[in-house]
Amino acid sequence: MIFKIASVDSLIIYFGSEINQDISTKVKKAYLSLKQLNLEGIIEIIPSYSSIFISYDIFKYDYYSLKNKLENSINLDFETDISDDILTIDTYYGVDVGLDLEDMSLKTKLSIEDIIDLHSNKLYDVYAIGFLPGFAYLASVDEKIAVPRLATPRKIIPKGSVSIANTQTAVYPQNSPGGWNIVGRTAMELFDKNLESLSPFFVGQKIKFNPICKEEFLNQGGVL
Amino acid sequence: MSLEVINTPILATIQDKGRFSYSYIGVTNSGVMDEYAYLHANKMLRNPLDSNIIEISFSNVIFKVNKSTQIAITGAICEIFINEVPKKSWQTYNVKNGDIIKIGKILEGSRVYLSVSGGFDIKKDFGSNSTTIKEKLGGLNGDKLNKGDILFFKECEKTFNVRLKSEYIPKYEENLELRVLLSYQEEFFSKDEIEKFFSNTYTVTNDFNRMGCKLRGEPIKCEIDGIISEGISFGAIQIPSDGQPIILLKDRQTIGGYPKIGSVLSIDCFKLSQVKPNTKINFIPISIQEAQKKLKLFYSSFM
Repeated sequence: MIFKIASVDSLIIYFGSEINQDISTKVKKAYLSLKQLNLEGIIEIIPSYSSIFISYDIFKYDYYSLKNKLENSINLDFETDISDDILTIDTYYGVDVGLDLEDMSLKTKLSIEDIIDLHSNKLYDVYAIGFLPGFAYLASVDEKIAVPRLATPRKIIPKGSVSIANTQTAVYPQNSPGGWNIVGRTAMELFDKNLESLSPFFVGQKIKFNPICKEEFLNQGGVL
Repeated sequence: MSLEVINTPILATIQDKGRFSYSYIGVTNSGVMDEYAYLHANKMLRNPLDSNIIEISFSNVIFKVNKSTQIAITGAICEIFINEVPKKSWQTYNVKNGDIIKIGKILEGSRVYLSVSGGFDIKKDFGSNSTTIKEKLGGLNGDKLNKGDILFFKECEKTFNVRLKSEYIPKYEENLELRVLLSYQEEFFSKDEIEKFFSNTYTVTNDFNRMGCKLRGEPIKCEIDGIISEGISFGAIQIPSDGQPIILLKDRQTIGGYPKIGSVLSIDCFKLSQVKPNTKINFIPISIQEAQKKLKLFYSSFM
C-alpha cells in the first residue's frame, strides 16, 4: 500500500500500477476491511482498478494521523468469497438496439453472432464504478472484439445500452453522451433511487451477460 | 408558504453542502460552488449551516413571495429589486405575501445565493437537496429551477435584519491566486514543468461550469498520457495531453484517468467559482500542514 495526498482533505492508497485481477482483489479486500472498520470521520471511499480514494473530516484527522491509522488497521490477509456471487444481465443483442454491431462486424471480420457469443460467454469483473451513478467498468472483453471508442461520441446513448470500449464493457444506467460501441440493451435498472442498494454493482463482483430475444426483452419492460 | 419562480432562469439550482458517501457508486458530491457565500447566508438567517439555498448562475431571476419570511442574498454583487426598489447584497430582508424579488444583472462575481429562513421544504435525494442535472438528482425532480416552480418554506415572523460587515464582503477581482497542494501524480511532472506551472499566469476560459474550470496558458507536460482511473478530489488539477490545466469542481466525475499535478485548496476553489472567464490565475504552493490549518480556520469561523 502506497499512500499519497490527494487534496487538503483526501488521500489515495495505491495497490499497484496496472489493471489485473490480483491488484483488483487487494482493492476489494482493503475496501471491505475499511467498511468493517467503519471509522468515524471518513466521508467518501472510492475503490477503483488499483487504488482507493478516501476523503475525511480534517477536524478528526490530519493527513499523517489518518495515514498511520490506516496503515496499521487495513487488513488484506483474509479470503473473500464475494466473487462467487454472479450477477446476470439479460441482454437483447438485436441490431435495432445494438447500434454498432454491424460496424463492429466489419472492423473485426467476425459475424454478429460471433461477436454476441464472444461478449456473452465471458465472465467479467467489476473493476470500478463511476462516470455516472451505477456505471460499472467491467473487464476484460475478448481481444477479438476489443474495439476502440467511437471517433465521434454519440450525443445520446440510450439507457440500458450494453457497450464496449477496448477491453472494457459497461452498461449505461441512463441516457448519456458517450463514445462506447453499443452491442445490445438490457431492461435491468442499474441505478434505482428507490432501492436501498441503489446499484446492483460492487467492485470485485462477477458479471455475466445472458442473451435474450426481443420478445423477452420487451416483456421485461425493455424499450426499443 | 412559498416562493414561486416567475420567469425562466438560465441556470438557478437548489444546492446545499452536498451529497456525501455515495461516490462509491458514481454519485458526485455536488453542492454549492461558493461555500463562503453560502455559509454566510445561512449564518445571517441563523439557519442550520447545511440548509439548502438557491444558487443563481446567470442574470435575471424573478420570484414571487406567497408568505412572510426573511431572506438573505449573498455572493456575486448584482442588481437586486424587491418590489422594484433597489437593494444591496450580503444582507437579510423581511418579505411578505405578494412581494416580487428580482435578481437583475450580475455585476461582479458570477454566482448569487438566495436563502430563506429555515430553508426550503424539499424532499432530499440521498441526504441532500443539491441538484446535479446530469444525474437527475436533488432540487425539484433533479432539474434546475423552471418557470412556475414552487419552493415551500415555513412561515416566519418579521424579525430584525442583519448586514455583513463590509470587511467580510469579498472583492471579486481580475486576478486570483490559488494555493496548490502538489499531490497525486506530481512525480510524473519534472522539476522544470512544476516550476513552469507555478511561475506562469493562466487565463480562465469559457469552459467553466459546475463540473470544472479549464484554463489556458503555458502548457504543462506530463511524462505520462493517462493513468488508471482513480478517485478525484474537489479542486484536483487535471493535466490532459494538451497541457492546459482543468480544475475539477463540485459536479466533477467521481473517477477519471487524466494525470493530476495537485489539488487547489478547497477554500480557494470557492473564490474561483466566483470569477469570470478571462480572469488571470496564478498558482502558489502550500504544504499539507498549512493547507489543513487554513481549512480548519475557515470552517471554525462559521461555528
